[in-house]
Amino acid sequence: MTIPAVTSLNGVPVAAIPVDVDVANAALVGEQLAGAVTHDAPCLVLDLTATRYLDSAGIDMLLKLAERLRNRRQALRLVVPEGSPLRRLLAVMGVDASLPVYASVTEAVESAGGEPGTLSPR
Amino acid sequence: MTDYELRELDKQPADASLGEITDSALAYLSLEDLLVELLERIRTLVQADTAAILLVDRERGVLLARAARGIEEEVRQGVQVPLGRGFAGRVAAEARPIAIEDVDHADIHNPILRQKGIRSLLGVPLMVGDRVIGVLHVGTLQRRSFDESDRRLLQAAADRAARAIDDAQLSEQRAMTEVLQRYLLPDTLPVIPGLEISAKYLPAPGAGVGGDWYDVFSLPDGRIALVIGDIAGRGIGAAAVMAEARTALRAYALERHSLEDVLALLNALIIGAGRRRSLSVAMFALDLETDALDVVSAGHPPALLVRPDGTRELVAAASGPPLGSKISSGYAAESVAFPLGSALLLYTDGLIERRGETLDDGFARLLEASLIRDANLSLADRAFRDLAANDSAAEDDVAILAVESYALGDTLHLDTDADPTHLASLRRIVARWLTQFGVDDAQRFDITLACSEAAANAIEHAYGPRDATFALDGHVTAQAVEVVVSDRGRWRPERQTDRGRGLQLMNALMDEVIVERGEQGTTVTLRALRK
Repeated sequence: MTIPAVTSLNGVPVAAIPVDVDVANAALVGEQLAGAVTHDAPCLVLDLTATRYLDSAGIDMLLKLAERLRNRRQALRLVVPEGSPLRRLLAVMGVDASLPVYASVTEAVESAGGEPGTLSPR
Repeated sequence: MTDYELRELDKQPADASLGEITDSALAYLSLEDLLVELLERIRTLVQADTAAILLVDRERGVLLARAARGIEEEVRQGVQVPLGRGFAGRVAAEARPIAIEDVDHADIHNPILRQKGIRSLLGVPLMVGDRVIGVLHVGTLQRRSFDESDRRLLQAAADRAARAIDDAQLSEQRAMTEVLQRYLLPDTLPVIPGLEISAKYLPAPGAGVGGDWYDVFSLPDGRIALVIGDIAGRGIGAAAVMAEARTALRAYALERHSLEDVLALLNALIIGAGRRRSLSVAMFALDLETDALDVVSAGHPPALLVRPDGTRELVAAASGPPLGSKISSGYAAESVAFPLGSALLLYTDGLIERRGETLDDGFARLLEASLIRDANLSLADRAFRDLAANDSAAEDDVAILAVESYALGDTLHLDTDADPTHLASLRRIVARWLTQFGVDDAQRFDITLACSEAAANAIEHAYGPRDATFALDGHVTAQAVEVVVSDRGRWRPERQTDRGRGLQLMNALMDEVIVERGEQGTTVTLRALRK
């Protein structure tokens, strides 16, 4: 399986994940994402713009990845466009309470200046 | 040969008679066994010490030793005699009997004949019509002057043997083609509600195995991959390259490479392996949820797209040369719409190419073919009927792969293997079904994801690693959507926290979730009131 594409914007790693993240690929995607973040990066921006479905295993992966990064004093920032059903999903599952969600990659990267994990979504 | 002589031949003792050479018992022998049996009978009949059959290999321009009695080394050492050279080569090239009384004074290509101490030889061509398919020769350790009656006797035996060999070769080829079809072409086509997939493969008559192939499989992102390809040349070599290409293409596609990358990687693989054959291939990926059909082609003829209104278009024009070409600078994919009611016809050039016609004539016939509906015939069958069935001079294989999309009913039934890699395609099918019944985007997402969670539960409960399946049964009305996911697995306590989260997710997205755990398995009923 190809590694999720990781690019860098202003020194911040930005990763896009597969169209669907479910129980079939969540563990592998999580491993690859954790491995793609260097120790000097303040955070990882995870772009879910092209993501169509994220099941409970995918949500679990996001939470575990966030915890893993937090232990390295790094933050996980999600990018989900306004109006995407994924926004509603993250809200009803309570994920947005612990993980900041941004509308665009630019917004997420620009907010990366502050202390990891303390940024508000807006 | 006179009637008298023929009658005499048939009067030979049963174990050595010419009639026995083609008797029905031989029909069940493999070609190898058949030849050995024939030689034994012929050797007795003409009272020779050795007998051998060499068959023509046209591709290489040689005679290959296929069977021998008294000089078995010939076969073991794989003796090859160039056509036109040496004793057997001349018999084949000149298509006439040749006798050599003393091999010491003759041009003999095959050293084994001298090593065995053979003094005299008589060879006759194996003819089918005016075609030389091989050579039959007998030898004696004592010097012998083969006379006219020896020649006639051997030729009569050879003529009967030739027919038997020709039949055996044809049936061997047929058998090989069948095996190849069985192993290299999908034995069953995927059953996908909303799509009718059909295929047809016809090898060209009597021309050996070709390198045409088609394939259908689910991609990890839930799209349906459709592949058609054609390897230049014929025979087992072409079939072997086909097997290699088919497997490699699947492997790259299952690793989530883009269509462009799949073809680029396959091209590099084929060049790297030193294959001197070129192959054309076209790959399509159909997203059942968005109706987007992505296409990429390496030197393959364009596919026929039939729109819901019946208008037709050739799509997937080649964006680069056939694979195996070092001049290729990559392949570009394009996307076309494949809305409900569309049909797509993939084919190899045998379907449209005719001697004395240009390729454009073929495309024109394809665009005008009636393809008129017939309840008993699939689209692949209809394409064959309208384009190739009446063409008795077909010289090439024909492979056809066709997909028609049709509207789903208000009930949906899916039987799916208990394998998490099938979840993505399950979501696409459920979403497509809901779209067709006007369920809005947000609710479609919720119901689809809830179904996927219930399915993931069923997969986790699957009792065995093999043959385990689960069923999804949906019903949509103007007021509500109800989906039941049932497995026959034994209930096990939830092992992972994310399964607990799965139930939470289903409850958050649906109006009602009922989980029933019984001895026969677990059933999850999901209900959503339509907004």
